[in-house]
Amino acid sequence: MGTTAQYDATAGRVIIDEHQGHPGIKSTTLSYGQINDEMLAMLDKPRPSYYLLLLGFLMALGLGALSLAIQVDVGIGYSGISHPIGWGFYITNFVFWIGIGHAGTLISAVFYLTRAPWRTAIYRSAEAMTVFAVFTAGLFPLVHIGRPWLAFWLIPYPNERMLWVNFKSPLLWDVFAVTTYMSVSIMFFMLGLIPDLAILRDEAVRKGKKLKALVYAPLALAWRGTNHQWVHYMRGYMIFAALATPLVFSVHSIVSWDFAMSSVPGWHTTIFAPYFVAGAIFSGLSMVLTVLIPMRAVFGLQDYITNHVIQSVAKMIIFTSVIVGYAYGAEFFIGYYSGSPFERAIFYYRPFGEMASWTLLGDNEINFPQIAFWLMVFCNVIVPIPLWRWKIRNNPLAVWIIAALVNVGMWFERFNIIGSSLQHEYDPSAWGEYWPTVVEVGITIGSFGFFFTLFTLFAKSLPPMAIMELKEGTNPPMRNAAKKDTDE
Amino acid sequence: MGVGGATAVIAGCEKKPEKLIPMLVPPTDYEYTPQTAYQYMTTCRECDAACGMMITTREHRAQKAEGNPNHPLNQGTLCARGQASLQSLYNPNRHAFPLADGKQIPWEEGIQQFSAIIKAASGAIAYLGKPASGSEGRFVDEWLKAAGGGQRVKFNLLTQNSQTAANKIAFNRADIPEYAFEKAGIILNFSADFLETWGNSVENARRFTDMHVYKNGKKNRFIHISPHVSLTGAKADRWIVINPGTEGLVALAIAAVMREKNGSHKFLKNYLAAYTPEKVTEATGVSVEVMRELANDAMEHGPVLALGGGNVSATDQSVETLVAVNILNSVSGALDKTIRFYNQTVPESSTHQDLTQLISDLEAGKIKLLIIDDSNPVYALPPSMGFKQALKNAFVVSMASQKSETSHLANLVLPALTAYESWGDAFPRSGVRSIQQPVMSTVNTFDAKAREDVLLSVAQNVNKKAFPGNSSYLDYLQNIWKRIQREVGDKRKFDSFWISVLENGGFFENSKYKRVTLSRKVTSVKVNDPGLIGKDGLTLLPTTSLLIGDGSGANKPWLQEVPHPMSQIVWDSWVEINPDTAQKLGINDRAIIEVTTPHGSVNATAYYHFGIHRNAIAIPMGQGHQNSGDVADGFGINVMNLLSGRMDNAGNFALVDTQATLKMVNEKSYTVNTDGNARQLGRDIAAATTVEELNSGGEKHGGHKRPVEFYPDRSETAGYYKPYRWGMTIDLDRCNGCSACVVACYAENNIPVVGKVRTALGREMSWIRMERYIEGYGDDFETRFSPMLCQHCGNAGCETVCPVYATYHNPEGLNAMIYNRCVGTRYCSNNCAYKVRRFNWFDYEFPSPLDQQLNSTITTREVGVMEKCTFCVQRIQTAKYDAKNLGRDLEDGEVVTACQQTCPTKAITFGNLMDTESKVSKNALRDETEKRDRQYEVLAELNYKPAITYLKKVNTRVVLGHESDRHDSQEQEETHG
Repeated sequence: MGTTAQYDATAGRVIIDEHQGHPGIKSTTLSYGQINDEMLAMLDKPRPSYYLLLLGFLMALGLGALSLAIQVDVGIGYSGISHPIGWGFYITNFVFWIGIGHAGTLISAVFYLTRAPWRTAIYRSAEAMTVFAVFTAGLFPLVHIGRPWLAFWLIPYPNERMLWVNFKSPLLWDVFAVTTYMSVSIMFFMLGLIPDLAILRDEAVRKGKKLKALVYAPLALAWRGTNHQWVHYMRGYMIFAALATPLVFSVHSIVSWDFAMSSVPGWHTTIFAPYFVAGAIFSGLSMVLTVLIPMRAVFGLQDYITNHVIQSVAKMIIFTSVIVGYAYGAEFFIGYYSGSPFERAIFYYRPFGEMASWTLLGDNEINFPQIAFWLMVFCNVIVPIPLWRWKIRNNPLAVWIIAALVNVGMWFERFNIIGSSLQHEYDPSAWGEYWPTVVEVGITIGSFGFFFTLFTLFAKSLPPMAIMELKEGTNPPMRNAAKKDTDE
Repeated sequence: MGVGGATAVIAGCEKKPEKLIPMLVPPTDYEYTPQTAYQYMTTCRECDAACGMMITTREHRAQKAEGNPNHPLNQGTLCARGQASLQSLYNPNRHAFPLADGKQIPWEEGIQQFSAIIKAASGAIAYLGKPASGSEGRFVDEWLKAAGGGQRVKFNLLTQNSQTAANKIAFNRADIPEYAFEKAGIILNFSADFLETWGNSVENARRFTDMHVYKNGKKNRFIHISPHVSLTGAKADRWIVINPGTEGLVALAIAAVMREKNGSHKFLKNYLAAYTPEKVTEATGVSVEVMRELANDAMEHGPVLALGGGNVSATDQSVETLVAVNILNSVSGALDKTIRFYNQTVPESSTHQDLTQLISDLEAGKIKLLIIDDSNPVYALPPSMGFKQALKNAFVVSMASQKSETSHLANLVLPALTAYESWGDAFPRSGVRSIQQPVMSTVNTFDAKAREDVLLSVAQNVNKKAFPGNSSYLDYLQNIWKRIQREVGDKRKFDSFWISVLENGGFFENSKYKRVTLSRKVTSVKVNDPGLIGKDGLTLLPTTSLLIGDGSGANKPWLQEVPHPMSQIVWDSWVEINPDTAQKLGINDRAIIEVTTPHGSVNATAYYHFGIHRNAIAIPMGQGHQNSGDVADGFGINVMNLLSGRMDNAGNFALVDTQATLKMVNEKSYTVNTDGNARQLGRDIAAATTVEELNSGGEKHGGHKRPVEFYPDRSETAGYYKPYRWGMTIDLDRCNGCSACVVACYAENNIPVVGKVRTALGREMSWIRMERYIEGYGDDFETRFSPMLCQHCGNAGCETVCPVYATYHNPEGLNAMIYNRCVGTRYCSNNCAYKVRRFNWFDYEFPSPLDQQLNSTITTREVGVMEKCTFCVQRIQTAKYDAKNLGRDLEDGEVVTACQQTCPTKAITFGNLMDTESKVSKNALRDETEKRDRQYEVLAELNYKPAITYLKKVNTRVVLGHESDRHDSQEQEETHG
């Protein structure tokens, strides 16, 4: 790679040229031991503030669980979903969380294959987020359906009644897509963890912590770090990355077909697959930044998650923001160009509400969908614009604010698609309105609680950064030692 | 078997069961097969129209009400109220036991008390009851005589008194004629709501539709001349806005022009000269040209049928108005053509004057005992009349079956049986003798007795000589029917005559009508302008709802739940106000307004309605109950609180006599309507065409071309549609929006009622809904109705998206729904373009004993399950089994869906689309698109291939919608043409 490494006698370290060296790690002045120490220090006994944070997330989760319990007890009618709006907050959350789950695989698999070195510091956390986001998303179909206790009927299993599932239904494709994605991302995540788990195991054994060793040892799968193991490991990792890469694009395409395959005006459009995938990456990367920038500050990881990393992610966010913005525009153009009165009506309704001539006498009413629409446009198209400037990109606080707003915007984009289209379908006499109730808000808050609880637990129990890849980014100690020797 | 046996025992005997007896050996005293439908003929007593009913019972429980096909008035169909009469029977708020001052007492004690009070009253008795066309009135009269004297006051809020009074003046006879709508070429309707509460709405609807429907390239006219467009007016070809109370003047002006031209009735020359269009134009608010045009139209398109009466014209000039209508009918030559008088008794009725007299008698203490049947005067009379206070001066015995404001105030309540459980009869018209028989044993929750039986036994307690030889009212009734048998010259033994009467639901014969001529006395009748417009404020028109009626339907969940077809509002009252007036007053649509009259004030919701005079408001009657049961109480307001109780010259209640002022209280109200949008934006869901277009062949564009498809149609696929492919046609030219089909569907398919709050969220469960769309603006607006139900698409959106095959296309073309398989993703509902799928958001309850009404041939549905119209699959199956037993296929017309069955105008046809000879195939012309003129499939461009073909409404005018509507529809044509 043409690395020029120099030994700095005063610092007692090898200094790698910043421009030519590993760009993911700031002035790669880190030694293996230092990386080990700093990474393992992150897993030390947490401070009280950690418990406070965890308690907050658990409370949110509890609120969600309570809301769900009430809903299951009283009936799905306890939510605001109604006729004709059969899908509301729950499906919005489902699509939102699946979207969040896309960044992890993108970063760990796609950028692995494309050799984007800045991924090293963040891919572990992003992958964990993927797994947790897919967990969260996977709960929502259960929350949403009328008889969740029969959800297993969606799985094609042999049974004595010869009942089979309907392979024509996009919902069934969803079942396959999401379960595949979930299993692949869990396996990919666990595979990437193996060498690090071995470090944790060794550390636990060294410090005589038997319980920890008992937990980490089986997960480390007897990793010894032999050459032989490394060869197989790297091949396996490559294969998994190749397997996971198409999923990044297929899963959200299939999720988008839940809508695109229907006949609902505002849903039935071919742009949905790329539009949803771009949106998913957009929201996923924003979520990565939303989570990692605070984490970087808390753990002092500026050396690992450099501004360069943040900038790179921010560039991806600009890129996907432009795609998403284009998709919004294209939707409107096609809505107009199709000439279909139904399409035109829904695309008028989304931004402006009831057209005056629709009502008996012409009252223009602004409703929830209009709020959702303008929030979506503002957060997803307007807010990311400052990221075009290097100064803004280089300012972690500014990037964090933008990323957080993009998350809000992407949630409302999902809602805008799902909620508003169902309100104004073909038969004006059957138009309806949708307002969420307290259980839906509670369960939505609960889903964030669930996600962040899992992530908070993860941050203290598994190395949030890939230790072995960080080490890979520095120069091998052998060579350094040799150089040191010659210099001396 | 055990359960079936137990039910059988409950229903099978007169006595209530002490314990459950498992039916290991079926009893031999009756033949009964579980799950088999037994039909009994009886008479509907929900209003005094007395339609024949055929009650389907299973397991000895009445489960479905249908019209008696033998009955000459309704010919097998029923209105919404008739369909809902089952909820009188099973109403949870029926009186369950005798009450003395609100405390439960045993029956013996009640009867003892009643007997004692009769003796004590010594003739100072009044019996306040519904007017009876049958034997009941006579029985009560005789009973009063036996009890020592007293008077009977017949109470009916929606009375035909003005008509009888006007007929007495004009034709010298006080009965109500038969209106032969089908013979008319043009109907001039002066505010009569004949499709709702005026006369027999079922018969009227049928005969009116026969006249008005598009046939052989022609369509007869119906002109609505009224300050208010009700459901009836919505069907009109033209609405002439007149000042309230001036119907008579317009009628005479038209008569004057016609008489001038046809020269008939010379004695009217001078009389009518005072009412020429020029002279009445100012008072009526109708231009001279329009009145002349109407007269010319009437002469050109005759025979004429002029109708009048009903609430909206019940001013202090109501009798004069109807005399004027009679004059118009005579001048136009309608008598004996479209209006036929028979030899028949005058319908009994007391005037408002009699009621006022009763109140003053009560106040003066002249009446010691007041007996009231199921009528509810405490609710239905304006409080300003003081009936409620006057009740305190007498001992009040309520013999009501249903809880009401009146029975709440009674000293003694002796619960009566409903018409489903007791004997009776009705003679609504000459030649129509209708019998009412118990179709089942009493509902075991209620310890009630037949009113007449109680009266009989009490009379025999008091007076040993009363009703000799009659041990029950049935004996009395049979004696009367023995007399009828003699009168009609039937030579059979009485028993076989009686059985044939019970089998047919009565005795029906044709009678000859009598010629009548206009009496010369009419010239003495002066028709005045009541001058309501000149006064301050807006004239208050108390209208009726065809669902709730005069308020007696308010405690029936179905009638509250089904949206009023015009306003689409449920569980509420509203104030109809012209948008122009409202905007001038700064009142927005659905605002809460305070309506104040000199007699009271109420808060109600403003409802923008183009179809009302700019100086008037309309409030429907029947809501605002306080003690009529859980379903009725607390919903809406009682318009009677605003009225004076004044009378016209003939002693009738002048309902339209009050000016109201409005004040906005709140911009928003919690009023629930089921329509998402009143306008269809050129989407042609409820499409219409015009006679001209049809005749010019402009509509024959070969229908909507189906796109070329990759996959073959299901009809070409093995295993499908052999031999049946069920389909339906709905003729929007026939449909008048009466919503009987909607109630019938609730009754047939165990559809739960969800209430106001849940309907507000769109959670109503109706499988068929009556969509109402408004076209145009201002006085020239048009109302369209379209029943929307599952279209059973051949290429359904719902079927493909269900992940578990809970909904699928069955071999007979039904879009079948397997409730047990449904997990509740609701994707099918999202993907249904017609939005006819309903989801069970909760586990709904049918409060006992309403659960006894549930159709036992189908299930109820649990929480989390989707449901929708099945084309009454249970009826298809039953008919198929029957045909299979006979070793043949089904014939056309053997399967009748519940909605089709009850439709008074026969707008719905159902049958096998694969049979090219079936009626539905001939109506739909699915394979012969080049022959189509009115046929269309809703949203055909989606290629869902619905099995329901609609037939366009035919207008005689072009209603211009909003520009954007036209723009849209043109675009649509361009895109898909």
